[in-house]
Amino acid sequence: MGEDSPTRYWKSWEERTSAATTEAGHDEFPEPLGGIVGELSRRSFLKAAGFTAAAALTSCTRTPVEKAIPYLLPPEEVVPGRSTWYASTCAGCAAGCGILVKWRDGRPIKLEGNPDHPVSHGGLCAVGQASLLELYDSSRLRGPLLDGKPASWDEVDRAIVARLEAIQQRRGAVRFLTGTLTSPTVQALLRRLLGRFRDARHVTFDALSSSAILDAHEKTHGVRALPHYRFQRAEVIVSLDADFLGTWISPVEFTEGYGAGRTPEAKPVRFSYHVQLESRLSLTGAKADRRVRVLPSEHGSILTHLAGRLAGKANLPFAPGPSEASPLPATLLDELADRLWEARGKSLIICGSQDVSAQVLVNLVNHLLGNYGATLDLAQPSFQRQGSDGDLEALLQEIHAGKVSALFLYGVNPLVELPGGSALASALKRIPLLVSLAPRLDETAGLAHAVCPDHHFLESWGDAEATSGIVSLSQPTLHPLGNTRSVLESLAAWGGRPAAAYDLLREHWERRIFPRQHREGSFQAFWDRAVQTGFAEVEPRRVQVKPFRTAAVRPIGRAERPPTGTFALLLYPKVGILDGRHANNPWLQELPDPISKVVWDNYACLSPAAAARLGLGEGEVVRLEVAAGDGKAVALELPVHLQPGQHDAVVAVALGYGRRGTERFAKIGPQWLLARPGVGADGLVGKDAAPLLHFQGGTLRYDRVGLRLTRTGATHPLACTQQHHRITTPKNLPLVGGEARPIVRETRLSLLLTDRAGGHTEGAQETEDLWPPDHPTPGHRWAMAIDLSACTGCSACVIACQAENNIPVVGKDEVLRQREMHWLRIDRYYAGEDEVDVIHQPMLCQQCDNAPCETVCPVLATVHSAEGLNQQIYNRCVGTRYCANNCPYKTRRFNWFAYAREDRLQNLVLNPDVTVRSRGVMEKCTFCIQRIQAAKIEARQRGVPLADGVIQVACQQSCPARAIAFGDLNDPKSQVAQWMQSPRRYRVLEEMNFRPAVGYLAVVRNRTETKGGAPHG
Amino acid sequence: MGSRLLTGVLVVGLLLSLFLLVPQLSALRLPGDQRGYEPRQPIAFSHRLHAGELQVGCLYCHAGAERSRHAGIPAAGVCMNCHRFVTAPLGAIRAEDDLARREGRKPRPVISAELRKLYDALALDENMQRDPRKEPRPLAWIKVHNLPDFVYFDHRPHVGAGVTCQRCHGPVERMERVRQEQSLTMGWCVNCHREASRAGAVAASIDCSTCHY
Repeated sequence: MGEDSPTRYWKSWEERTSAATTEAGHDEFPEPLGGIVGELSRRSFLKAAGFTAAAALTSCTRTPVEKAIPYLLPPEEVVPGRSTWYASTCAGCAAGCGILVKWRDGRPIKLEGNPDHPVSHGGLCAVGQASLLELYDSSRLRGPLLDGKPASWDEVDRAIVARLEAIQQRRGAVRFLTGTLTSPTVQALLRRLLGRFRDARHVTFDALSSSAILDAHEKTHGVRALPHYRFQRAEVIVSLDADFLGTWISPVEFTEGYGAGRTPEAKPVRFSYHVQLESRLSLTGAKADRRVRVLPSEHGSILTHLAGRLAGKANLPFAPGPSEASPLPATLLDELADRLWEARGKSLIICGSQDVSAQVLVNLVNHLLGNYGATLDLAQPSFQRQGSDGDLEALLQEIHAGKVSALFLYGVNPLVELPGGSALASALKRIPLLVSLAPRLDETAGLAHAVCPDHHFLESWGDAEATSGIVSLSQPTLHPLGNTRSVLESLAAWGGRPAAAYDLLREHWERRIFPRQHREGSFQAFWDRAVQTGFAEVEPRRVQVKPFRTAAVRPIGRAERPPTGTFALLLYPKVGILDGRHANNPWLQELPDPISKVVWDNYACLSPAAAARLGLGEGEVVRLEVAAGDGKAVALELPVHLQPGQHDAVVAVALGYGRRGTERFAKIGPQWLLARPGVGADGLVGKDAAPLLHFQGGTLRYDRVGLRLTRTGATHPLACTQQHHRITTPKNLPLVGGEARPIVRETRLSLLLTDRAGGHTEGAQETEDLWPPDHPTPGHRWAMAIDLSACTGCSACVIACQAENNIPVVGKDEVLRQREMHWLRIDRYYAGEDEVDVIHQPMLCQQCDNAPCETVCPVLATVHSAEGLNQQIYNRCVGTRYCANNCPYKTRRFNWFAYAREDRLQNLVLNPDVTVRSRGVMEKCTFCIQRIQAAKIEARQRGVPLADGVIQVACQQSCPARAIAFGDLNDPKSQVAQWMQSPRRYRVLEEMNFRPAVGYLAVVRNRTETKGGAPHG
Repeated sequence: MGSRLLTGVLVVGLLLSLFLLVPQLSALRLPGDQRGYEPRQPIAFSHRLHAGELQVGCLYCHAGAERSRHAGIPAAGVCMNCHRFVTAPLGAIRAEDDLARREGRKPRPVISAELRKLYDALALDENMQRDPRKEPRPLAWIKVHNLPDFVYFDHRPHVGAGVTCQRCHGPVERMERVRQEQSLTMGWCVNCHREASRAGAVAASIDCSTCHY
């Protein structure tokens, strides 16, 4: 690999452009010594000393009396202090991943992926992990509301039923507006309820809609269904703005499949070729082998040209007709067409656009390539998106015309998920009966006559058929915390046949699900099995797919482009916040966006070139303005974020912000002298971008042209962690061999295939050691290997670590001071110029054998264990912070405050196996030592050796991409020992001789040329 | 002259205080050392009677020691395995029987004052039936052997390695009311781990993270 000049990696645009290396983030503690105290005078020193003495004296109290309160009658399955696992189904989005609920002393404390589940295969995304915290959210409604006042369920039911009867007599229209319902039982109950009315309809609407894909399949295949995508079978993947690894439809399932198709170590090597054509830099684009920036409005034109070429190869008539030149270079289109054609039946093209005619072209391309039945399955479709924007538009017209007599809302919040704002609010207010089943008093529920809060999914029975033939089951894991009621029971009560959710579910399963299988003879056995495993595999509900209708295809000749002086707008979901239903979850708000690394805000992403043209800098507030339908303009003011890799004519804004309920984050961090509020001027976190959405051609559009952008002169600081905790090699340190190695490394598949080392120069030259080898590890030697090629940066591990290790949320202001507490962060590196490459690198304590932190601790609070761990003993730490200052990886976190959790109820989520650290204590990752100890004790008790894979650390368990291996390096057969043997393995800052226990496997990209070289296949 | 007197007084004072303090040195405790702690419990439960005289095995009530981190305080339901039938000391029941025979009536159920507290907690009446007028209320026992929150002690490996309960908890079977006998300080733990490893019986780790995480 000697011919390649080393790639320069950078973390932010400022760093890229500034000639002198910016020193931001270089220091572990950026604030000047002395902090707010400054120069300490004698007088203030004495004052402080006096206070300290007084505080020390007051703390000399008697040892508190601790009580032990046992059960009166112990439940059979409870052993105090011991965790049990229950299989259930995640309801964080409609993907329906299987979960295992860690249940301790009567309450769930952690969610993990169910490894046996056929949809998610053991992964669980950040949102799924964090949805546990919402169970213990004190802002959830405690019980039903009638006309804004707390009422009993009887009163609410009587009022609703009475009003419904009156409506029925007037032959009024009853409408249900819900999100995608994957639950067969809810669907059946809803059908039964709607059957009682003369004019009743169920309208499904997804805030993150894929309606165009379903509509397109209705046109081309005669069924309105979403295909089940199988990325593991695809050898060539072309994605147009579909962020399938981050937010699109079912990211956990797709990440698993995508990873299964990219295994450079397997024999024979399987490694898909992934091309991403996109306008903003998405998580998926960050992983692509080839990434090209296109406008959202150019999809149709690109697809037309691609379909034309493929039709030529397939000898089918498809004339693109008179059309403009392709937005992509012809060579690239030829290459794509060749690649796809070679891999026909093993390729996949997807598109995130909401333009039905573009999606029809996508179907044509997949049809021409023979992908139906191979990489995408329409006969056994997915039910993860069912929304119909056409139906929604019709319903909105009815609502505006005052034709709706009763509207029920479940899983939707139209006021902030749809454009229309105040006009929609006043139309909703005119509806005679508006009922919301929202768990919180959200914007729309605030208008409702009755609010009937649904249980959290961990409190109730439920089911989900996310993909045809796989029916998952949810079971309650604790008694409902409030007087809420399952949606099943609400629907049954209004349908006149009230029953318990458990009975309703069992009845439906016995009548409808059980006959779809032949494995179990009795229903009880089938049910028990489903409850135990969390799912049941049954006969798929097959849909009748008609032959491809070529007549439905219309070429798109011309792409609509933003007129000069304006931009194209793209509204997108963020990995943590999605459509905003989790906006009041502090874990997700403080999760750095995997690409922008900004927390606690949404912003207008601009490419650095566009920002330079307008003279805009990071954090400057701009006014975004688009024309609304009625000649008026809709405007939104947001701070600018410079996003490398974004199309120069596109402004991207995240949805799901500015939600009611986020005002409680104003005081989330420590409220000290210099604390600043964590919310915007309007008291909310971020701004709601839904007013910028619009309907066009029967679908809700997330992109549009004609966005005008003006500077307001104001600034709004963005809490961005990308320059925090930067790993740098000191310039004044002479290195052995005079060589500084890159912190992230990448190689090319072609190199890996010809040369086993993949051009990777492993530099394990043993350097002289200052320390004698005096810490032998005779028993276990814990180590971790992280495959950067598999890692997508989805940040599931970050939240998993936070949940497992009781990591506090610090709030926006503290993040601005570089004091975020995540033990595991994901460093994001860019390489290149316009079409940037991105590498994500999970960075956690490296458990160095020659740990720089250990030698500087004056109180031996951080020492090495006999199993190779760098232990951190909280009760011994006095908070000198020398260790953090000396940590080259910057993975140590200091408790500047006793981070009181602002929501006392949320303390129930704390893991009792991990100490809650107090103020003034350093903390860090220790490879989930509590799990290691538990597994060791368990194995010793059983008298069996500790097998590889029994210990799953939190980050490893949740990883949908299976990018993390953990185990005993002294066991040569362990997975981690195998990975450490990989020629791709390197260690960060290896040349400094810290001997970390974490190894990284270099990124592999399926390319033959170097970055910026001539494009060829 | 004056300074000599002062020196004399100081020396005498010093000697006196040494004389008074040195015998007390043995009682000097590290903070957190709670030896001798013997709180009054909500029910005057006698380990001497149950574990000593009646020889009920420790694990019968503290079953968690084999299955969980915590040995656990038995649920009231465990007490009821015996005390559904044994409602008072044998002497008191015999006395009532004798009295009833002498008075020519049926003997009344005898319930001791301490066991009454147990039945009250379970909201049971004299015939061991649920009394709807009472509200069940769990018993709040006082923890005697109490480790700080940053120590993660696990009973299972100790029970598994054959450490007797008395090694840490003292001769409980001779205690009327449970009292802390051992210091339960870190040095005390580590010494035992060192000795066990030196004797070659088990590999008892002295890594910090064995207990602290």
